[in-house]
Amino acid sequence: MNLALRVNGRTIHADVEPETMLVDVLREHAGLTGPRVTCGVGLCGTCTVLMDEQPVSACILMAPLAQGTEITTIEGIPEDDAVVRCFDRHHAFQCGFCIPGMVLTGRAMVAEGHAADREEIREGLGGNLCRCGCYLKIIDAIEEAAQ
Amino acid sequence: MNTSTARARRDQDNNEGTGNARLRPGETSAVQGVNPRITAGIRYATDGGIPGEWHLRIIRSSVPAGRVTGFQTALLDDEIIFLTPDDVDAAGLPAFGCQIADQTVLTREPKFVGDAIAAVLAPTLAAARIAASLVEVSYERAPAVFDEMAAIAPDALLVHRSHATSESDSAYFDMRPQDGTNVCHRFRIRTAALQGRQEPNVITELDDSDTALADAFAQADVIIDEVFHTPAAAHVPMEPHATNAQWVEGRLEVVTGTQTPFNMRQDLAHIFGLAADDVRIVVPPMGGAFGAKTFIRTEAITALAARVSGRPVRCVLDRDEVFNEVTRHPSTVRIRLGAKADGTFVAKRIWAYVNTGAYADCGPGVAQKMGYAGVGPYRFEHVAVDSYCIYTNLPPGGAFRGYGAMQSVWASERAVDLLADRLGIDAVELRRQNLLREGDTFCTGEVMHDSHFEELLDDAASAVGWEKDGDRAGKGVAIMLKGMQTPSKAEARIQLLPDGRYEVQAGTADMGQGASEMLTRLAAEYLKCDVDQIVVCTPDTDRVPYDTRTTSSRSTHMMSRALADAAQDLLQHGTVGHGYVSNDGGLDPDTGQGVASSHWHQGSAAASLDVDEETGVITLRTLYASSYAGKVVNPHGADLQNEGSMILGLGSALFEELQFSDGQMTNPNLSDYNIASALDVVSISHKVMQIPGAEVHGLGETAVPPVPPAIGNAVASFGYHVTRLPMTPERVLAAAPSHEQASPPVGHIQGEEGA
Ligand code: FES
Ligand code: FES
Repeated sequence: MNLALRVNGRTIHADVEPETMLVDVLREHAGLTGPRVTCGVGLCGTCTVLMDEQPVSACILMAPLAQGTEITTIEGIPEDDAVVRCFDRHHAFQCGFCIPGMVLTGRAMVAEGHAADREEIREGLGGNLCRCGCYLKIIDAIEEAAQ
Repeated sequence: MNTSTARARRDQDNNEGTGNARLRPGETSAVQGVNPRITAGIRYATDGGIPGEWHLRIIRSSVPAGRVTGFQTALLDDEIIFLTPDDVDAAGLPAFGCQIADQTVLTREPKFVGDAIAAVLAPTLAAARIAASLVEVSYERAPAVFDEMAAIAPDALLVHRSHATSESDSAYFDMRPQDGTNVCHRFRIRTAALQGRQEPNVITELDDSDTALADAFAQADVIIDEVFHTPAAAHVPMEPHATNAQWVEGRLEVVTGTQTPFNMRQDLAHIFGLAADDVRIVVPPMGGAFGAKTFIRTEAITALAARVSGRPVRCVLDRDEVFNEVTRHPSTVRIRLGAKADGTFVAKRIWAYVNTGAYADCGPGVAQKMGYAGVGPYRFEHVAVDSYCIYTNLPPGGAFRGYGAMQSVWASERAVDLLADRLGIDAVELRRQNLLREGDTFCTGEVMHDSHFEELLDDAASAVGWEKDGDRAGKGVAIMLKGMQTPSKAEARIQLLPDGRYEVQAGTADMGQGASEMLTRLAAEYLKCDVDQIVVCTPDTDRVPYDTRTTSSRSTHMMSRALADAAQDLLQHGTVGHGYVSNDGGLDPDTGQGVASSHWHQGSAAASLDVDEETGVITLRTLYASSYAGKVVNPHGADLQNEGSMILGLGSALFEELQFSDGQMTNPNLSDYNIASALDVVSISHKVMQIPGAEVHGLGETAVPPVPPAIGNAVASFGYHVTRLPMTPERVLAAAPSHEQASPPVGHIQGEEGA
């Protein structure tokens, strides 16, 4: 089927099977490498994108369901974004593979006022895994961005 | 698409090194502007690709042992290229393996569920997936063996009929395969008085009475003798293994996420009958590795497919394949520890049974490290260690953050606490009394230098408010030493570019530990210039000089010195500077004497926790680790490495375990295999211990091994004597002190009084 998706303020067209997952369309048709597949089952958060500002796991979201929404990937976030800058300042990354998903999740938490304290930030990050183990600095970064 | 032109420019720079057809080297300068790792401005091997490449899917054995008797391929489309062991034979590809030559590119005699037996190549990934699902395989099943103790039993069936040591540089010590058994390497330590005795070649029973060496314990008043277990665990790099390969005018070019570019070059050259110079390995940054991306993984089959098809080929593993590709060695470790009544350690005996699965990989090296790390940073008059690397029909075990030390430190540091209980001596004091100090001799004959065990022990103890002879309910400590790859070599080159910047050319692969940042900072320091003046080229064996590999936390230590030499050379001689360092040594496999490590990774940990009596759930109040770093190059990076190690250790301690049913992994996914999340790190704090003027020490895994025993000792302080990792609630409850018994848990110790 022919899909038209709004991604980072542009329209992306792709001719795909209806059961294609959003992450595959973003990577293979839109050339975006920020959303990444690690678990493929909605548990790790490396494929996180914002759909109308809400974090979703693009590995388990069928692409047609994203039509009519506004998708934002890390590539659509400006470098001077507060959360991005706090991640940078706190050096909240190692390999970086999970980090775009962490930033997007953190952004939504900050925007919605769900980053009031470290406890709430930890809860909010429960669906974003980082095997390098950068959690402490990631929490520091989001905590600062929320202030 | 990019909202920032600065980022777009960097993206372009980075793209050049990693994925395009010409494999031009790129630059990654990790310290200017917002780090591109945050904004997806770097390309991993899984992002890149060579234009026109086809996609490879590996067909894997569904039986743990046996023979493939046929493939039914009638349903495959004509364009699909189907590869079998016949193609491997036709190409004349020899056996390979980093330490034992026991693998083939595709096998007709699978040795574990998941072994690569065939492959399909198709123009798209979707077509390759469909093709793989259409191939039917028939097998003749054979009996299999999974447990290391069953596999070392005298009548065990043999996983491999014979043992052949590899010619690879990675086989850096003498192998001691035991013919007619599943032991592909036996490592021993025998301190002076215990050498040269008549002993059995292989000790197969966990309750062996050890008559040949029993007199070593004659002076001991108390002896602890206990068996501990560690299961297989998964590395879970977030980025899967990803390889792109092509043949260009007879040369093999491979872009792959690997920690071992030069070993990879040598091993692929061996497999394909090429000169090393005719193989090029380019290593983009990895999305995590933790040991999983070492030696040949997907590279040989991808290269073969590229050669057969005459096209570029890409192979990216699915998550369940990543789980099965390589694991942490399951291990059974028996510790016998003897002391005098005043607490002086007298003798230690270790039997380590290291389950290396179907292929040795670097299991012999892991067995060696497990052997000596289990002795711990203590003085002993007598030490005897037998560490066996044993084949079974499980997926291969390989390098894993902590490299064998975790399994034996878990056992040995738990044993120290059991001994302290028996002696009625404070567990910290007992350690202090026996610690190796500057100038003491380790069991390998090495004289200790730059040793800081006492500070590390005190630091950990004070982090949990340990008071000498005070109430230690819920508190535990552990201390450890582990070695660094020895012998090894590192070379670095620095080139002055026409625009006045310097390019650092070094083989250190970046798997998230911040290699390029480390190189940038150090080069700027040595050249006395700004970090903006430094660019670091992507590791590319065509462009960077030799380096042994990026493992065992050796790179910061070794490469920093090579780089210092290169900078010196450049400042003296103009536009190009070369630096070279090597560390020499190695251990005799039969006596364990020699040089285990040119410097020691030293670390301690402490835990303070509660155990719920009803549920067995452990709640951490404090988890602390203190790691000796010498001089720190990158303070953020040092913190991150130490925290990351602790968090991995925490998972190993409490929940990570690969499970198998008849050899088939039953939890190869992130819903059934849990790794630590942000919710698990509340209690964590740590210290990176620096000493002014000290040399740079690696820090990549120091905090992994002491964490499980620190937690285990804290749990045991309530009477729960858990001997098997992870310490799940069920295991904690099963280890509960029985009601008749008073704590401390002496009732569980099979200790016996010495002579
Ligand atoms: S890849 Fe989508 S949640 Fe893990
Ligand atoms: S930074 Fe490597 S997985 Fe999070």
